[in-house]
Amino acid sequence: MKGRAHLLGVAVVALAIAAAPFVTGNGFYLKVLFLIGVNYLAAAGLNVLVGHTGQKSLGHAGLFAVGAYTTALLTTRLGWNPWLAFVAAGVMAGLFGVLIALPALRVKGPALAMVTIGFGIVVEKVVSEWQDVFAGQQGIYGVLSPSWGGRAFGDREWVWFVGVLGLATHLMIRSLLRGKYGRAFMAVNTAEVAAESVGIGVYRSKVLAFVISAVTCGLAGALIAQQNQYISSDFITFNLSIFFLLIVLFGGSSVYGPLLGAIVLTLLDAFLARWPHVQHFTYGALLLFALYAMPNGLAGWIAGLSRRLFPALAKPAAVPPPDGAWRLRGAEILAAERPLLAARGLFKAYGGVVPTNNVDMELKTGHIHSLIGPNGAGKTTLLNILSGIVPPDRGSIEFNGTDIVGLAPNRIARLGLGRTFQNLKLFADMTVLDNVQVGLHRQMATGFLSALLGLPAAARAERHAAAEAAQILDFLGLGDKAHERAGSLPYGLQRRVELARALATHPRLLLLDEPAAGLNPQETRELVDVIAKIRDLGITVLLIEHHMDLVMAISDHVIVLDYGEKIAEGRPAEIQRDPRVIAAYLGADDPDPDAGDTRAPDAHIASATTHG
Amino acid sequence: MVAILQAVFSGLALGGIYALVALGFNITHSTTKTLNFGQGELLAAGTVIAVSGVMLLAGKGMHGTLDPQDVTLWRYAVSLLISVVVLGLLGVLLYYTAVRPFIGLGGLSWVMSTLGFGIIIQNTALAIWGPSAMVIPSPLGDNVIRIGGAGVLPQEILVVAASVVVMLCLDTVMRKTKIGKAVRAVAHNKNAATLMGINVPAVVVLAFAISSSLAGLAGLLIAPITTASVFMGLSIALKAFSAAIVGGLNNARGCMLGGFLLGLVESMVGLWHAELREISIFMLIILVLVLKPEGLLGTRVAEKV
Repeated sequence: MKGRAHLLGVAVVALAIAAAPFVTGNGFYLKVLFLIGVNYLAAAGLNVLVGHTGQKSLGHAGLFAVGAYTTALLTTRLGWNPWLAFVAAGVMAGLFGVLIALPALRVKGPALAMVTIGFGIVVEKVVSEWQDVFAGQQGIYGVLSPSWGGRAFGDREWVWFVGVLGLATHLMIRSLLRGKYGRAFMAVNTAEVAAESVGIGVYRSKVLAFVISAVTCGLAGALIAQQNQYISSDFITFNLSIFFLLIVLFGGSSVYGPLLGAIVLTLLDAFLARWPHVQHFTYGALLLFALYAMPNGLAGWIAGLSRRLFPALAKPAAVPPPDGAWRLRGAEILAAERPLLAARGLFKAYGGVVPTNNVDMELKTGHIHSLIGPNGAGKTTLLNILSGIVPPDRGSIEFNGTDIVGLAPNRIARLGLGRTFQNLKLFADMTVLDNVQVGLHRQMATGFLSALLGLPAAARAERHAAAEAAQILDFLGLGDKAHERAGSLPYGLQRRVELARALATHPRLLLLDEPAAGLNPQETRELVDVIAKIRDLGITVLLIEHHMDLVMAISDHVIVLDYGEKIAEGRPAEIQRDPRVIAAYLGADDPDPDAGDTRAPDAHIASATTHG
Repeated sequence: MVAILQAVFSGLALGGIYALVALGFNITHSTTKTLNFGQGELLAAGTVIAVSGVMLLAGKGMHGTLDPQDVTLWRYAVSLLISVVVLGLLGVLLYYTAVRPFIGLGGLSWVMSTLGFGIIIQNTALAIWGPSAMVIPSPLGDNVIRIGGAGVLPQEILVVAASVVVMLCLDTVMRKTKIGKAVRAVAHNKNAATLMGINVPAVVVLAFAISSSLAGLAGLLIAPITTASVFMGLSIALKAFSAAIVGGLNNARGCMLGGFLLGLVESMVGLWHAELREISIFMLIILVLVLKPEGLLGTRVAEKV
């Protein structure tokens, strides 16, 4: 749904929520409506964490408990105003969100599930065993509910309140996910290393997603405690965590997914409650088969259905025609011919294998440098050290006047060091345009609040970013592919999309790890021109490549590695004649360097186009 | 001092149970990168099946009460066999319905589907056996044996002995035999294993059958010490999962170590403050994962860039 259709939808839902309590006075129906709202609220935040950032949590009942017990204790023990206590619940849950995120940052997959389960169980046990404070199974009575105009909330007011909260949450999360933060979450979800390489802090993004999910889950807990005016440890179970996760997975990761999931599962819960047996079987069957039948959840299934029935709706928005050619920002600041990067004594060992052995290198501004060497010479390791992915054991790297050893990859990227990957790391499920816009993440000044509230400044920054991404695609001849799914493009074009994404970070230095691997001869020839164009923008290039004709054609300076050591460097013509280089590539029976024929090796190196 | 010794014995027994279930997690995880989040429900189902088996063999019908003389060693052994076979079959069913459709897909869809499978098993068992706990006496009687002043139940000794024997057997099979080599090959690289003529689907199905059978074994071993019920599984499975993660999910010996470690910690903390058992265990796990995310004996799998 775009723009106007979305606004219309929101207005209709708002009217329906406003009118519902007048249509029915039935307490049960109103309570069900209220619960849909509460479950939606919890699921909407959890969807940011699970569906977008890709962090599965099986412990959100713990955060629900934090919110519920915060309001309960503040209103009953300390006599806080219920409104204030409600807000405090969100804040407190957010703080706990940071707490649960910290260990979760170190682990992935099943271990992450374990950490979150552990958190949920610890909270569950604390509230049930620490009777003095949390009153265990007996529970805390007399939790104050908010009031309006001197009257405490009744069934109607609760529906309205949760409706307003739900709508506000929807608008904010939609605005957030459509902007640079949403793209950053998806980037972290698909390829963490690539996200770091364009300057996105993976840790920060994950913590942010945890906090968002914690706040909405905590508010959901506060709503339940205040509406029931009671909370006990019986509410906080492992099953509640599973239920929240089920809503998200069953609904799907679209912004409408949690709503659909909350409606269907809350209704199921309410109307099957009389037959607990049937209810549990239904849950089991849903968990077992729903993801099989609808891998993208209910929302994804409906979207797929509507695409098939009304193909016209699926037409992507027109690409804005690029206005003017793309320019690198601030390129003029760096004087040419000065050393841009200087590495000294870089050393890295994995046990007995030493892929980088006391390597010195100096890259000059405006030059194209190439790094060559036989397979296993340590070229990619060196690139990983320069870009911060692998910390060196020893050595120093000065980039543009800053010592970058020990900095996180995203910090190095922000200093102006961009890279591509030998094994492609695209955000495969995003469009080509979005991939490039992820690259522009650090170029957009939009702050979190501005993005959350959808302020005009954020919208403007989005438009600028889309326009600039279109310019970059145009620069690389990808203009007509903007709305295609990156993962669906042919291999050669995927490589070029990665290049576009790296360019979008406005790098000073661009590291290209085998950009010609897998390209056909035609594409390889085009690549030579592309790299030259990139240099002409004022970007220094360091290139790993096995295609010697490409290397020799465009390099100003070639560095040769073998067994982790730099064995030669110099101009391409010198390298082609260097006996040690020839020995490294072809092997030498006779260590005597004078014995070789000085003419033949040119051809040999040129034909040594292996892929690694 | 005696109390500590006592806690060590019961901790070892508990640890043996966790280690068996943890080993089951390790087997499926190393071959398919998935594990059964409904393992606890399978464990419980296997246990109540076995207890009913003992009752039927003793001629008590499905819902009788068992006296100590009803539980002879051979009845116990026969029902154990039945439960292990039934659970093995359930494991195969689990693989085909809940795991296979999601293998190799991103995300953790299999977490949800195996949870769902477990819920269905649990509710089926609930419909047959009801929610109440079933008492099963130990086949070895409950005359406490004194070791260094501490009392040990014969069943506790049986648990430790049986779990150690089973683990040693599995370890030997994995390291010394052709089939063990096949399993390890599949764990390392499915495609290469297929090319070497190993029947990968068969190995994977076998892994799930063994994994579930281990859970059934663990359930019947612990039942005489606690009780058997449809709800007994969740906490055992969660702790076994913790044990596997703490010891290193991709290392079988790590999983065993983790199991015994967790059992000992649990009974030691129980000695001090019974209500802090769960809290301290899960705090410990979070701590271990923060310090060593791959587990105590696990190896870190580096992502190739």
